[in-house]
Amino acid sequence: MADEFTPNIVGFLCNWCSYGGADRAGSSKLDIPPSISVVRVMCSSRVDPSLVLNSLLWGADGVLVAGCHPGDCHYKEGNYFTRRRFAQLEKVLESLGLDPERVELAWVSASEGQRYADVVNDFTEKIKSLGPNPLKKTPY
Amino acid sequence: MASEEYRIGVYVCECGPNIADAVDIDRVIEEISPLPGVAVVKRHKLFCSGEGKEFLKQDIIDENITHVVVAACSPKDHEATFAGVCKEAGINPYLYQIVNIREGCAWIIKDKEAATKKAISYIRAGVSRVGYHVPLEQLELDSVPDVLVIGGGIAGIEAALSLASPIRKVYLIEKTETLGGTAAKLAGLLPYQGEGPGAIKSKIDAVGENENIEVYLESEVEKALGFFGNFEISIRPHEGDPVELNVGAIVVATGFSNYDPAEDKKWGYGKVDNVFTALDIEEQISSGEIKKSKTAPKKVALIHCVGRDEVGYCSGICCNYLFKIANNLKETFKDANITHFYRDLCVPNKNDEAFFNNLKEKGIEFVRADVSGVSKGKSGIEVAYTDESGEKGSLDVDMVILAPAVKPGEDTERIAEMLDITIDETGFFEEEHLLLGPVNTAVDGVYIVGCAQGPRNIPDTISQSNAAAGAILSRLIPGQKLLPEVKVSEVLESLCTGCQTCVNVCSYGAASYDENKGVSVINEAICRGCGNCVGSCPSGAIRSKHFTETQLHQEVIEALLS
Amino acid sequence: MNKDILVIGGGIAGIQASLLIAESGRKVYLAEKTSMIGGNAIKFEEVFPNMECSTCMLAPKQQELLQNANIELLTLATLKRLDGSPGDFTATIQVKAGYVSPVDCIGCGACYEPCPVSVKNPFEENLNERKAIFVPCAGALPNVPVIDTDNCVRFTKGEDCTACQEACMFEAIDFNQEDKELQLKVGAVVVATGFDEFDVKDLPEYGYGELDCVYTAMEFERLFASNGPTLGELTLRNGETPKKAAIVHCVGRDKVGYCSGICCMYSAKFARFLKHKIDGAEVFALYSDLCVPGKLNERFYRETLGEGVSYIHCGNVKVEKNSKGAKVTYDSAGKSESIDVDMVILAPAVIANPDNVALAEILGIECDSRGFFATETGSLAPVTTSREGIYVAGCAESPKDIAASITQAGAAVNKIISTAERASVPQAVED
Ligand SMILES: Cc1cc2nc3c(=O)[nH]c(=O)nc-3n(C[C@H](O)[C@H](O)[C@H](O)COP(=O)(O)OP(=O)(O)OC[C@H]3O[C@@H](n4cnc5c(N)ncnc54)[C@H](O)[C@@H]3O)c2cc1C
Ligand code: SF4
Ligand code: SF4
Ligand code: SF4
Ligand code: FES
Repeated sequence: MADEFTPNIVGFLCNWCSYGGADRAGSSKLDIPPSISVVRVMCSSRVDPSLVLNSLLWGADGVLVAGCHPGDCHYKEGNYFTRRRFAQLEKVLESLGLDPERVELAWVSASEGQRYADVVNDFTEKIKSLGPNPLKKTPY
Repeated sequence: MASEEYRIGVYVCECGPNIADAVDIDRVIEEISPLPGVAVVKRHKLFCSGEGKEFLKQDIIDENITHVVVAACSPKDHEATFAGVCKEAGINPYLYQIVNIREGCAWIIKDKEAATKKAISYIRAGVSRVGYHVPLEQLELDSVPDVLVIGGGIAGIEAALSLASPIRKVYLIEKTETLGGTAAKLAGLLPYQGEGPGAIKSKIDAVGENENIEVYLESEVEKALGFFGNFEISIRPHEGDPVELNVGAIVVATGFSNYDPAEDKKWGYGKVDNVFTALDIEEQISSGEIKKSKTAPKKVALIHCVGRDEVGYCSGICCNYLFKIANNLKETFKDANITHFYRDLCVPNKNDEAFFNNLKEKGIEFVRADVSGVSKGKSGIEVAYTDESGEKGSLDVDMVILAPAVKPGEDTERIAEMLDITIDETGFFEEEHLLLGPVNTAVDGVYIVGCAQGPRNIPDTISQSNAAAGAILSRLIPGQKLLPEVKVSEVLESLCTGCQTCVNVCSYGAASYDENKGVSVINEAICRGCGNCVGSCPSGAIRSKHFTETQLHQEVIEALLS
Repeated sequence: MNKDILVIGGGIAGIQASLLIAESGRKVYLAEKTSMIGGNAIKFEEVFPNMECSTCMLAPKQQELLQNANIELLTLATLKRLDGSPGDFTATIQVKAGYVSPVDCIGCGACYEPCPVSVKNPFEENLNERKAIFVPCAGALPNVPVIDTDNCVRFTKGEDCTACQEACMFEAIDFNQEDKELQLKVGAVVVATGFDEFDVKDLPEYGYGELDCVYTAMEFERLFASNGPTLGELTLRNGETPKKAAIVHCVGRDKVGYCSGICCMYSAKFARFLKHKIDGAEVFALYSDLCVPGKLNERFYRETLGEGVSYIHCGNVKVEKNSKGAKVTYDSAGKSESIDVDMVILAPAVIANPDNVALAEILGIECDSRGFFATETGSLAPVTTSREGIYVAGCAESPKDIAASITQAGAAVNKIISTAERASVPQAVED
């Protein structure tokens, strides 16, 4: 029997909005696939491209970065920088032979428990359809 | 990294049935116990309860624990609670990590096997991460309680009066030779706002009498360096030597300017006789000049929203002050016909509308129309307009009063640059947060009040001045240390190339360039620890404390192991 | 002179005042009538003028308040008496029993499900139901349920129901809890009791209550809240998605005699939300005067206009039933016109909290003719009431937006601390 592919997704969530959204999903007892491993950062702008790249190089099938909606960043405009950095990151991913679709940037507010669940579920489905990360060679 | 001397204590909360039912805690203990550095793994029914906290504290002490991992609920619930316990048990609270296995695991993964695996993975991440934690200490800074207020209009006067006391000096800097600004020129306020000139004058007098307010007339602030609690200021009087001051906070109250109706010839301002701005008329009323004019006005047009389209906003005060002027004219010149040309009535305060209705009863006319031109007519001045249904009309009058939009003060840009604060799309100073921090700026300790922040009336201006004073008084307490954020970022000088990307991305002016060393530096007293500079630094030269690259990598690696 | 301060009302104004006072090292008692803090602003999904998420904005403040050691939050608490004089008041606070111990309860929510009683949830504008033991909405803070004794069968019928108690693993539920009265010594009081919505049933021409598709502003706020009764799905009472909506401004303005100053803005927010959420939705804003004062509000209106919302300047608006839902008639530019819509949202005037009059009596301060707390505008002191030591902030003083409420809260704190600083002089000079 072929094992169904369960993707390994690293999710960087900003403390103020998206982590709050994840908490709201939790307290509403929504179904979230175990595919995602959450790493909390203070602001999405903390997520430097190397964190994303390293995650992929070390075998993550997908990386989700979630922050406050544009304009809502707790630190004024951090997430605008995040967005800009992500646009540049796409090119780097392509040059490494990685599908930029493996990296997703999403805006999730602290009240959006359902949206958080949807984002994670949708992204998980997307990664499932993309299959395992081709760079995942040797497991640790 | 978990070295030999490390004794990591891992504490798994059952949270009653919440975690215990969803996660196999015995297996968690079994798998976490053998990890390097882990000294104990213990469970408790409810760590956040009084008994749970006591147990945790005692166990940390008894087991000689050096690093603590608590696997429980969301950090939003109890991160601070267990940090407090660590402190009580004599452990630096930054040598601890909370792992969210409730909201982030037990409550969202319905399959117990999967939830258990996930919990183990998260706890492993916590254990790996905590091994790289370093103790962090709370910085304590001395501060100066005195305050600099820039601008001696009603906003600045009110701020100064609200702040000055024998334990706090205020330096009030005014560019012109008198205090009072625009408010002092007004003929009066709206009746429900009290007697205007009297109230304003008594505030000006109160400043003069207050020995804790030092007024600098005909002076400007030339330089401001430093941060909340410790600013170094240089004042330049128009004549004489500069004065150096130390203050803890700065209130910017530099007021506004008016849209110049001469910019658009359709208003006839400066071209057609007897076309005035509202401020011209206020001054004529207060000086009594208007009564002296040879021919009393018989027909007056008051035009609202002059320049509104050009500036792109409604100033929110013009409807009301035109009502006040109309009322005054009607009282002085009983037979005058007074007509308002307005677009939308903006009467947002609870007493405005009653006053407006009262004017209608007095026979003052209101025409909802767009005025297309003010010109010399056959008999006097012709006001041409288009009404709502698109119909054109005109009215002959002998006096026109324009209500020009409120615009940012002349010095706004210079002051913004000097204080390193920002200006928004409308040209006014930009607040830290439009709703939550309307008088704060991105530079902590610098406040903006009154029309310097945006157009507003006198009561709202006073409110803002009081609010800025409230913010200052509640934090800048004589003799008390300031406690800045602990989890800040720092530049690793050996890696920094001096590209100054961080200086440009920081919203708070915490990062600056040190010319001598050729590297950037981050001021710990200002940094809020967002990590934006870390994410932007091309050389990886910035470390955000408690969210270091290594610490985050540990979490990623553990996530990928499972 | 007592340094401790009483704040009445845990809306955004009361929260801000409490946080600032606590920061200055003073002890704060925050007395909130309901079981949660956040007031009206926490009900909104997004706030003008930046369509910012309200929860993201306010939750950190709520959290900070709950964790602040200088703040003692009293929920289900109301002021009964105020004795003494400025600087040395004794406040008698009645704290109703909630029957759940905030110390033991961890907010797991296990107790709601087994409760046999379901009633309309007023927090959700009665758009959904809750149990007799409840928190008003997901994410409510403090996250501690209370028992509604008007509906719990133990209290109404004397039944021996223990369903919630049995479900609670933390022994947090105690049916024997009793109401208590606290005597607090405080130096000053900040009143921040907020506002109420004009009751649109008083104006039958708008069809509220008659027509299912007519909503009040607060109802709409909850309909679009992602933690609201529909989880943010815009569905009408009949289960359909609205396609064509009319937003009626200034409802009750003539009756109350003033413009509330915020309805144009929140109406624009609603229009935007409808446009964003529903593809091809048609939205009509029926207004009498556009009141968008301030440097950024007109931009918000222009952007809304740019999204294709039809603004109609009109008067004499009436709502009647028809086959599509509602027929809205109005007079515009001298003509009578009408539109057929499937949703009508009324923007009612912001009115004074009905508690104010009684509260003013207790506090020994004055209300204005509309029931808002009167301030000494004569001396241009917008937060100073007619009695020394008692200050007012937020919508308790007059209708206003969040920024202005926050500002007044700061102003009230200023009055308190600066009065104290001036009085504390001799001591400070000595040392
Ligand atoms: C439909 C609508 C939409 C809005 N949208 C926006 C927006 O997008 N942006 C914006 O800036 N503003 C908006 N506003 C305005 C905003 O709601 C208010 O400015 C703000 O909520 C006022 O805060 P407050 O603390 O003064 O009052 P409230 O939020 O009303 O809080 C008062 C608190 O006091 C408590 N209380 C009442 N009586 C007592 C008592 N006797 N004893 C103890 N406690 C008591 C209440 O339970 C409540 O918790 C909107 C208003 C409405 C009506
Ligand atoms: S962490 Fe944020 S606040 Fe601190 S220096 Fe970097 S960008 Fe500025
Ligand atoms: S006692 Fe029964 S009815 Fe009352 S709240 Fe508990 S479960 Fe509901
Ligand atoms: S079951 Fe007990 S602990 Fe859980 S929410 Fe209800 S009262 Fe609180
Ligand atoms: S804090 Fe959420 S993105 Fe910046």
